[in-house]
Order: sequence, then structure tokens, then C-alpha cells
Amino acid sequence: MANTVVKIDNLVKRYKELIALDHLSLEIKEGEVFGLLGPNGSGKTTTINCLLSLLAYDKGTIEIFGKPMTPTSYDIKREIGIIMQNVAVFNELTVMDNIDYFCGLYITDKAKRKQYVEEAIRFVGLEDFTKFYPRKLSGGLLRRLNIACGIAHKPKLIILDEPTVAVDPQSRNKILEGIEQLNRDGATIIYTSHYMEEVEQICTRIAIMDKGHKVAEGSKEELKKMIKNTETISIEVAEPSAEVNAEVAALPHVYKNEYTDGKLHVYCSGGKHNLIRVLDVLQKHDMHIGRVYSELPTLNDVFLEITGKALRDKED
Amino acid sequence: MFLHDLKYSLRSGLRARVMLIWLLIFPIALSTLFKIAFGNVYESVELFKSVPAAVVTNDGSTELRGVLDSMESSENPLMKVTYADKEEAEKLLSDGDVQGIIYSEDRKLSLTVAGIGMEETLLKTFCDQFNSRVSVITEAASKDPASIPAVSAELMKELNSVSEEKLTEGNMDYFNEYFYNLIAMVALFGALIGLSTAVDNQANLSALGARKNCSPTPKSISLAACLISRFILQSFCMVVGVSYMRFILKIDFGDRLGLVYLSAILSGILGVSIGFAVGSIGAGSYDTKQGVLTGVIMSLCFLSGLMVADMKAIIAEKLPIVNDINPAAVITDSFHCLNVFTDTKIYTVKIVTMLGMTLLFSVIGFILTRRRKYASL
Repeated sequence: MANTVVKIDNLVKRYKELIALDHLSLEIKEGEVFGLLGPNGSGKTTTINCLLSLLAYDKGTIEIFGKPMTPTSYDIKREIGIIMQNVAVFNELTVMDNIDYFCGLYITDKAKRKQYVEEAIRFVGLEDFTKFYPRKLSGGLLRRLNIACGIAHKPKLIILDEPTVAVDPQSRNKILEGIEQLNRDGATIIYTSHYMEEVEQICTRIAIMDKGHKVAEGSKEELKKMIKNTETISIEVAEPSAEVNAEVAALPHVYKNEYTDGKLHVYCSGGKHNLIRVLDVLQKHDMHIGRVYSELPTLNDVFLEITGKALRDKED
Repeated sequence: MFLHDLKYSLRSGLRARVMLIWLLIFPIALSTLFKIAFGNVYESVELFKSVPAAVVTNDGSTELRGVLDSMESSENPLMKVTYADKEEAEKLLSDGDVQGIIYSEDRKLSLTVAGIGMEETLLKTFCDQFNSRVSVITEAASKDPASIPAVSAELMKELNSVSEEKLTEGNMDYFNEYFYNLIAMVALFGALIGLSTAVDNQANLSALGARKNCSPTPKSISLAACLISRFILQSFCMVVGVSYMRFILKIDFGDRLGLVYLSAILSGILGVSIGFAVGSIGAGSYDTKQGVLTGVIMSLCFLSGLMVADMKAIIAEKLPIVNDINPAAVITDSFHCLNVFTDTKIYTVKIVTMLGMTLLFSVIGFILTRRRKYASL
């Protein structure tokens, strides 16, 4: 059984009247890519800041590598790599100098550090930009530099707090591939995001947070099994009659159907061949069928069903 | 760890825009402008120049000619004499070539001037003193003719030239004040890099601070390295600024240049420590803190007379303690006293005060930033 890398127990953090973390407990095992998923303000970054001992909390305990985490736990900090939500680099230092500086805070051996820095530069693909100053880099390259500064010392635990915010799709894919590679190389990853697609893509286990609570936890398959919906069928048709609607609603495993935006949406819970049965009903009533979609539930559906609201704001 | 941090703090500090603009370019540019604007004012306004005068002798006075000849051969003569007849002299006066005409008749001098001013007053004083002394000599001659040469030589000696009475070993050029005030202002601008030291090391103020706080390098080491690097950079800037003024602009800081450098370096370090302390207070953004700090610096400068010349004297009269604790006043005083006092007693007091303040502000900064966990980020 894998060792526990991070153990958060009953963590409470208040900002005056606001409860940012409400008795949060998490256990993260060695080798996992653990996703903290939740909308903005759900407590993900607060959890990370408490974990790193940057933020004082009101109640609870935090252990990393089996030891209590404190601001002076330098032996623990040596094994942690942190990639902040905001880019944290010196604008007056080159790409190479920035990585060397941050790596040097962890690694004192110069030869070893030089090797690590070169590996980090290769890892994030900044070989052609080593002499560049951060302000000359694009947003995506800047994020990659931010990551290189956090992982150059080869930490055992890497914490990435929304590392892909405001990043172009190409850089985002590169970052996600890099995180998977780091995990394959043996690092345990904690990844916070409000992008469910990213979390679904790379995380082996996920905790969904809302208003400081952990509302669900498990692998993506386990999470999806927690909800009623197993399949959403959407069919472009003319608005069905009440009779058709009633027939669809009476089909096995269908628990809800509605007509919006020129589509009939049928929500199913379990069962096989749901799509065929719905199409049979429509054909029987001689309805012209346009495009047909059959979608498996997403983490957004999980979040929606558990909390009653969408995971991501529309502008996100 | 310390040396690693120090190395990169120095490197990043050297490339910081605030450093280049306010601590290097600003003093060089402004001192050059000062030099262009005031460079020759002292010589033209403050330094004494011989007064041009025409002399018309109708009595063939040998005493007057003897005094004037002797005067002109001195190092710093009171008058530049042109002997002329009455018409020529009046033309010279109307043309502005001379400031006055001295007439000698019956061993008595009379004066005609075209205006009223310092130079005319000097000519009048010369004539009055000459007449008065001739009277004394005439009286002595009537009583003891043998004493005439000795009395005459003694009395006329003082009329020959002006002599400088120095109050200090320093340079009395009034316009040096502008350069001293500029150095003091640049020293206080060092507060801006002191501010970045506080902000860049606090997790609740910057992402950089948060990242540093997550590293295994103790905060005290990181802070000390950063602060010392700022002290070094500011000292470098102060030395460059003073050297530029002294050796490129040829500003005469007197014969105690070493002490001017010492004042400049310590005042620069004091400026950095003020920024460090102010930056460590509260959890405002960098911009907010920069605004507060600029306000603080400007207030200190205002109270020390860097903006309104009489302010320091007013404060000294109404509330003298303010001048003793105002860092800007202490900095400018350290320069001023090099010019005013020959001994270094007061200078030493100012230097010790600066060191004490630097220590105090640095300790305040350390105490406020030593916090290891934050209530909010």
C-alpha cells in the first residue's frame, strides 16, 4: 500500500465571519495525481496555502511525509515544489538565472544544481529562451518558466495551483503533458483547477470542493457513479407533442426529459440501449431527426447534481 | 544559501528600473542641470572682484598714488584704478566702465558715482577712510614729524586690499547646498529599493514572497541577504553620484571628501532601511505602500527644508526635536556641518544618529516581516 504523502485532518480556516475551510480532511497517497476541483472561491488555494504553512488556520492538523508541517519544517519544504497561481519570478533576471536562483534555495551543490537547471529548462522547452527576460516571454512561456522554477530541484511532492490560467491551448497541453511526465518520474502531484477537463485528463483521484467543504472524493469513475445521471441524450427535433414526451418519460431508465434550444434532452440513469429506445419512440411518431448526441456524465454534472450549480462561471 | 541569495539579489537589483532611474540617472541628470544653472553663479555673485574706479588727481597727491599703487600690486586688490582727467573719467563713468570717480583735491578725496550698490559703498568707504587717516597723519605730523612714516605705513596698510576671513575649512559656496540636498534626496529615494525588500519577501504581499517562504531557506537569511544587497547597491549609487559631481562636474566639496562619501553612503543605507521598515508595515499592495512611502519621504524632505529653504529654521525655532529625529534633516545636517564647523564633533553626532536610525528601522523591518504565517494572503 502506498505511503501517505499529505494528510489534512479537520482543517478549519476562517476569514472573520467567512468560513473558508470547513472541517476539511484529505489524504493523498504517494504517486497520485490528486485534483482539487471547485469553482472560484471554493477554498482550493486556501487549502494549498495552509498546506504550505503560509496561512494560519483555526483548527486541524496537517502532516506531510508523516511529519507535522510548520513554517520551519525545512526538511519537508526541501521536498516540495510549488507552482503558484500568479507567476512568481524576478523580472530583472533571465530565464536561466531565475531557475538557478530558485533551484539554489533547495540545492547547494553547484554541479548538481547546474545539471538540474539544464534538465528543468529542457523539460519545459525553454532551451531557446534561456537569455530572455520574463517580460519578453509570452504568457504561455512565462507559465512554463514559472513551472521550471518550481520543479527544478526535483521535489517529491509538487503542488500546482491553477497553473494553466490564461494560457493558450498549445501551452496548456504542454503543461499537462509535463505534469503527467513528472508523475511518471515519481512525483506526487496536487493539482488545483476549476477546469474540469484538465482534472479529468490528468488526475487519478479528485476531491470536489465547494464553499470550503469537500463535497465528493474519489477517482473520476467513482465520482460519476455517485450521481443519478449516467447518460444524457440530446436530439435535434421539432418540439415533441405531450404524447411523445409522455412516451419518452415512460421508457426504462429515463428519469427526466425536457425540450430546450431546439433539442430534446433525455436524462438516463443506468441501463443499456437508451438511445435506441428514444429514437424508436421518435420514429414511431414520424418525427424528423437532426443531429443526435449521447454524452456520458462529466465532473460538471457531478458538481451540478451535488451542489445544484454549475462548476464554472459562464465567463470562464 | 546566504551568498547565493546575495548574488542574485545584487544581480536583480542592478537591473531594477527604479534603481537605474532614481538612484543613478536622476542624480546625474539633476546635478548636471544644477551645474549648468548655478555653476558660475558663485564666482560671479559671491566672490569679490576689484571695483573699477577712475582717479582724477588735481593736487598731485603722492600719498594717494602710493596707496593705490600698493593696492593694485596686492593679491586681491580693492580697486582697479584708471588715472584720467575729468572729461575722460566722466565718459568712463557714463559708459559704465568704472563704478565711480575719485577726485583728489587738497589731499582730500571726493567721490562721484552713477548708482547705489555694494561697489559704490566700497569706494565711499575707501574715500572716507583715506580722508580720516590723512587727517590723523596730518595731526601726527604737527605733533611729532619723525613718526610720520611709521604712522602712515600702518594706517594705509589696511586700505590696500581685502582679505578673506574663513569661517571653516570647507567650501563656502552657497550653491553647494543644492548638491548636498540632491545627495540627501537620492539617499532617501533608496527607500524605494528598501520597500521592494520587504514586499519581495512577504508571502502576503507578493507571489515572489510566497514562493520564497515555501523554500527551505530560512526567512531571516533570505531577508538579510536581500537587505544587505540593497545596502550595497545604494552605497554604490551614492558613491557614483558623489564621484560624478566631484570629478566630472568639478563640484568643490571641500578638503574632507572622504567624510562626504561617508555621509553619502550612510545616508543611502538609512534611506533603504526607512523603505524596509515602511514596506513591512501592514498588508497593503506594493502600489499602496509606494504611495505611502513617497508621502513619508516628501514630508521628511519638506520638514528638513529640501523644498522650502526656511522650513528647517522654522522647525528649529518652534519644535527643534523634529530636526533631531527627522532622517532627512539629519542627513542634510551631516553635509552642512562639514562646511560650517572645522571640528568633526557635530558631524560625528550626525553620523552616529544615522547609524542608530538605520539600526532602528532595520530592526523594525525584521520584526514586522519575521512573521512566518499570515492570517490572509
